[in-house]
Amino acid sequence: MKELLVSILLLSGVLFILVAAVGLIRFEDLYSRMHATTKATSFGMLLLVAGVALFFSTGVVLLKAILIIVFIYLTAPLAAHSIARSFRKDDKEKQD
Amino acid sequence: MEPEIPETFQFMAFALLLAALVLTFLHLLRGPTVNDRIVAMDLTASIIMGFILLYSVLIRKAFYFDIAIVISLISFIGTIAISTYLKQKR
Repeated sequence: MKELLVSILLLSGVLFILVAAVGLIRFEDLYSRMHATTKATSFGMLLLVAGVALFFSTGVVLLKAILIIVFIYLTAPLAAHSIARSFRKDDKEKQD
Repeated sequence: MEPEIPETFQFMAFALLLAALVLTFLHLLRGPTVNDRIVAMDLTASIIMGFILLYSVLIRKAFYFDIAIVISLISFIGTIAISTYLKQKR
């Protein structure tokens, strides 16, 4: 039972990260690309970390997993906001 | 104590992550602006974190979690640093 749950968590987390990469390739605007990568990657990492924490299921690993998840959900929007602030549409060819 | 994950699922997960890494690297090479490359680098750090977590399941050692913590810290600081530099250069 537990191995099935861990397998489903790991595979679905990896699948969300793959969807983020496909969105990075397919969308044609920087803002929509960041919309794809930030949210899908955060959710995928949440599922992956939850799967690995359930796999080991000791106290220290659970504490570290909660720490990683809180840190990711705090910093991913900050990083995306900072990238979006550093981008302006008009000087696209100047920045290249 | 730890459950037995079928190796097929583990290698399937590795293959999907590798496909994501290849797509991200293509975008890193191709991206028209610097900001696209920063987004691709951020996603690459997350994919490497996923690789390390899956590898810790494969070899059954729990201390690989610390590496994931350190990678998430470094990736956040790097992204903030590069985008602040770009914002001030403009």
